[in-house]
Amino acid sequence: MTESTILRPSRRSLLKAAGGLAGAAALPMPFIRGARAAGQTQLAISLRSLTNPYHADFAKGGQNFAKSVGMPIEVLVTEGNSEKGIADVRALIAKSNGNIVLCIDPNDSPDARVIVEDITKAGGQVVTIWNKPADLHPWDFGNHYVAHILFDGVFYGKLMADTLFETMGGSGGIVGLGGIFSNVPAIERKAGMQQALDASGGKVKLLDFQVANWTAPEAFKITQAWMTRFGDQIKGIWAANDEMASGALEALRAEGLNGKIPVSGIDGTAVAVAAVKSGEMSGTVDWDPLWVGGMGLSIAYNTRIGKIDIEKEPHLHREFYGTGVPVTAKNIDKFLESKKNPAPIDFNDFWGRVQAQMRYI
Amino acid sequence: MTSGVGCRRRCATSEPTALNDAGSAVTTVAGAAGAPAPKVGYGRARGGRLTRLRPFVPVAVLLLLCIAITLIAPNFLSRGNFVRVGIAAAIPMVLACGMTFVILLGSIDLSTEGIVAVSAVALSLLVKNLVGSWDWGLWALPAPILLGAALGFVNGAVHVRLRIPSMIASLGIGFACIGIATVVLGGITVRVVDPQIRDIALHRVLGIPFSVWIALACILVAWLIQTYTRLGRWSYVLGGGEDIAKLSGVPVGRVRVGIYTLAGFFYGIGGILCVAQFGQSQALIAQGYLFSVITSVVVGGTALTGGEGGILNTVVGVLLVIVLGNGMILVGVPPYVQQGVQGLLIIVAVALSIDRARVRMVK
Repeated sequence: MTESTILRPSRRSLLKAAGGLAGAAALPMPFIRGARAAGQTQLAISLRSLTNPYHADFAKGGQNFAKSVGMPIEVLVTEGNSEKGIADVRALIAKSNGNIVLCIDPNDSPDARVIVEDITKAGGQVVTIWNKPADLHPWDFGNHYVAHILFDGVFYGKLMADTLFETMGGSGGIVGLGGIFSNVPAIERKAGMQQALDASGGKVKLLDFQVANWTAPEAFKITQAWMTRFGDQIKGIWAANDEMASGALEALRAEGLNGKIPVSGIDGTAVAVAAVKSGEMSGTVDWDPLWVGGMGLSIAYNTRIGKIDIEKEPHLHREFYGTGVPVTAKNIDKFLESKKNPAPIDFNDFWGRVQAQMRYI
Repeated sequence: MTSGVGCRRRCATSEPTALNDAGSAVTTVAGAAGAPAPKVGYGRARGGRLTRLRPFVPVAVLLLLCIAITLIAPNFLSRGNFVRVGIAAAIPMVLACGMTFVILLGSIDLSTEGIVAVSAVALSLLVKNLVGSWDWGLWALPAPILLGAALGFVNGAVHVRLRIPSMIASLGIGFACIGIATVVLGGITVRVVDPQIRDIALHRVLGIPFSVWIALACILVAWLIQTYTRLGRWSYVLGGGEDIAKLSGVPVGRVRVGIYTLAGFFYGIGGILCVAQFGQSQALIAQGYLFSVITSVVVGGTALTGGEGGILNTVVGVLLVIVLGNGMILVGVPPYVQQGVQGLLIIVAVALSIDRARVRMVK
């Protein structure tokens, strides 16, 4: 029977399979695009996936910076796989002989340590975004681990809750949608919401808090069940990101309640911004990923060429919260205008958007 | 694939067992053709009543669950909540219609999320949106369905022609589809503003959203295919014993490709419902559905080994999973306990519905 030949592969088909696997393993390595002048710095940006607008713009920001200095850039995509992320960076380090400037949003916190150590050994420069272990600090690695940039989840979680309460009229019951439990931004943003609740002095009550894993379909189902459970007790919905906010908003729309019960989000997706414009969402926060990707590379690159003496910079400039742009009914028109005609980012204004030094919970 | 392993086992075991196996499988073929099949070897180990009741176990679990939830949260029985459960079940139900046939074959389809994403992206780009200029309105609806069926066909063809196990073939096709959606969109989210498309989820007929009616129609179509077409009957035969089916002249390869195409057809409809429901499309629009759909099919009583169960089981399975999710929030189960409860339910439902006397080996 033919099945049995499948079960007992010949040596040739085994060799073929091995060859195919080796080819597949080689694929993720950045392709060498022609010969380059010796000694030219390799710029690179590493991120999780191009499937989401945030990371797509993050990559574009890096490319914009590369264009501004006329340097080659590689965009490395981890696809949520830490092994692949690390292997790609190592391949690029080897290819560039350590003459590398990297801005990376590590797939997971522990990855940052491996990559920082590799880059330091090779003599390159790296800036990390969002994720790093708490005990890994840029100042312990000379001028190789240049900086870590992220945004203050507590601050913006509270800000969006405050905006939501204001839209609700200052009192009533709310429900909250959180991200994955162990996730640092999820914990921080929720803590911010809690601060706003405490500050309301009991006028705003949290009816229930559920985890919707950052996704719209989950948020949709949970919001539906809430409508059964709490009915018109719900006066507002706080969500830890825009995806979940849009899921909640669509569940409200299915019952004709959109615009009547305000929803707040965070992240500044196009869908959320449009909902703020139409009055269905009370607010969101735009991180300006074009700035994050571009400035991450710029700080690292300018450290490499000696324009910034990073070891003399204060800790505030090495582990810092960037400044987000709150988008609410008050500034939505101005915000949309600024998106249509974006002001060019000044890649030499290194510390203009430093909000505060990073805290540890 | 199970067939290869099955062959090996049969060749290795002694004569009488081989005969017995062949005997029962051949009767399945006869039964499929419409003749009342004497149930050879069925329930031979233990008494009849339990065996006969077994298919109704998922229904009983569902009823018990509904009663338990109602006792704690009487709101559960409200009309509004029934409609909400219906809305929440619509998309997984349509996807599960496709998945049921694949699992009946004893295969698996991991490309669901990818095919739904490509269909949804295609539809969202063809109708009025905030990104492009196409505006086909309802005329765009066949596109995602045809695209879904075509991708399902490719899925089946890769699986059958290249002889790649369905798990790997469909996983690969699924990744490729997510990749296509990503490249087409470049990472953006397309917001759909065509009111006719949104009405598929929002407009209500007799107080029930149109999407729920579509899901009901899909159940009917799937049931008709399962009961009255050769494709449907053969899918049982293949699941029961593919090598015997082959020897009996069933065009095994064509049936497999046909079933995957059918699954893709349902995923295309699922893509339409996603766009209508969420008003947007992006590469990860269907994220999370794959797991809940496979869970629903299995919890409903369709065996992962193939040949047993069917679309009506799946209806019960989908409702079980959705009602459980709805109920846990109504009752106020803490979020971190919910996943544990879901896991337990899967094990309980499957453990109750499996006839352990008939399971010769567990892999």
